[in-house]
Amino acid sequence: MATLNWRTINIDALDPESPANFDLSTLTPAVAPVSTADVQALAGQIRQLLRGGDSEGALQGALENPPYGADERGKDVHLATIIEILQSIRQADMSPMLGRLYKAPGGTEALDVLMKYIYKGMAHTSAPSTATKITPQPTGFSQVHSSRSGEGGGQAMSVLLSWHEKLVEIAGPGCIVRVMTDRRTV
Amino acid sequence: MAAPEVHHLFNHPIADHSFSADRQTLAVARDNNIELYQRDGGKFQLKDELTGHDKSVTGVDIAPNSGKIVTCSQDRNAYVWEPSPQGWKPTLVLLRINRAATCVRWAPSETKFAVGSGARLIPVCYFEEEDNWWVSKHLKKPIRSTITTVAWHPNSVLLAAGSTDGHARVFSSFIKGVDARPEASPWGERLPFNTVCGEFLNNTAGWIHSVAFSPSGNALAFAGHDSSITVVYPAGADQPPSAVISLSTQLLPFMDLVWSSESEIIAAGYNCEAYRFQGSEQGWEIAGSLETKGRPGLQDQREESAFNMFKQMDLKGKTTDDTKLKTVHQNTISTIRSFEESGSGVSKISSTGVDGRVVIWTL
Repeated sequence: MATLNWRTINIDALDPESPANFDLSTLTPAVAPVSTADVQALAGQIRQLLRGGDSEGALQGALENPPYGADERGKDVHLATIIEILQSIRQADMSPMLGRLYKAPGGTEALDVLMKYIYKGMAHTSAPSTATKITPQPTGFSQVHSSRSGEGGGQAMSVLLSWHEKLVEIAGPGCIVRVMTDRRTV
Repeated sequence: MAAPEVHHLFNHPIADHSFSADRQTLAVARDNNIELYQRDGGKFQLKDELTGHDKSVTGVDIAPNSGKIVTCSQDRNAYVWEPSPQGWKPTLVLLRINRAATCVRWAPSETKFAVGSGARLIPVCYFEEEDNWWVSKHLKKPIRSTITTVAWHPNSVLLAAGSTDGHARVFSSFIKGVDARPEASPWGERLPFNTVCGEFLNNTAGWIHSVAFSPSGNALAFAGHDSSITVVYPAGADQPPSAVISLSTQLLPFMDLVWSSESEIIAAGYNCEAYRFQGSEQGWEIAGSLETKGRPGLQDQREESAFNMFKQMDLKGKTTDDTKLKTVHQNTISTIRSFEESGSGVSKISSTGVDGRVVIWTL
């Protein structure tokens, strides 16, 4: 008894009324589970659109199907897809494209999703650029590759920052608040 | 639209406010006390102070007919204050909660009031004649987190509550011997105590800051921390609602909302200004701010001489003094209430916020 340090007892575990004993998933909106394979299939379709030059359609498709129910790997795949789309769109096209997305039905929702991915992309800019499997020319030496990916991280960040600026102009600070509030994470 | 009437009471946040029925007395919650102001011409003069709570007061409500004041505080207590020849006489209410009380509202019948609390329950309080004492009954069942706001249905039986678990719920608070049997409404027919008549979640499951029934009681609106307002039209007991309309805005979140008529909602919050929403079961949309853009005295930049401009640039590194917001309120609006009602609905509302101002707006 003397060895029992009562300060370290987790009293919440003993109290049936304690909120620590709640199943917190009941508080969040229901999300359907998505397998990584599905996310990859979607990424393939979106890349096809992108190669066909329809970057707006690709972006819309990617934003309409966020894999809330996927595991970490699936979410990372989708993040890489979206970053790739964002990087392929020219700066001058950003605002008009966002304007059209906003006016489309369900537009605020799509832009909220975009904001989530912008923040997630900012959180690990260096990670997706090294993780992306887009190394079209397998010529780079490992040394060169690593230095280039560091640069790519900075470039990805600048792309995300300009998207962020354009997005707040259209969707307002409400969009940022929703990203912070939303329990459905990407 | 007439200019808003602005009263700057003090430089301190106002947690909640309430006007008496004749609109001559104003009660505001300031720190641990409630201050009572009396209208004196165009101004409000401090008349009285209700002291007794020993932590921040979070809610105050004056019953329009009886004039009784109910207050609640983070010290987990609520008091009912009654006027007597010796001044205001407090009666302690047995809330039986172990967390802070967050909000309090009288039922329209004035025989009951509901207190929101951090203890994941809502004490519904009524007066026990035999014991000469305010006692409470707890609404408990599906609540998973702190109740941030409560609002009464006009029939004094249904109670809406918003919570930090992201749900807005409608409960029955029917108490035998206190309430008359309510008429059937779209929310349900048989309503024993703690019947959950509706449980609604908005898209993001953000905290709910405010709930309100429409004047008829046949619709419920709530504002969440995701900068949205959601309006629910119930279809009947045990049926899904006939319409749930969620409107995400570009603005910062709303802290409070009032229905000015069946087709108009006024909401205000972190944007420091109040906005109008209009709509019906078919859809809602934002219809602009209550601020009049041409208001004198704020945005008129005086013609500055070039000398002055460069002097300012030299001294302060900028040409104009931009420490004031362009809105009437200079900080978050935390409470808005109906101030005056005409035949067609609410014609004036009052708002208070973190800046210590009380503003009366003509709609």
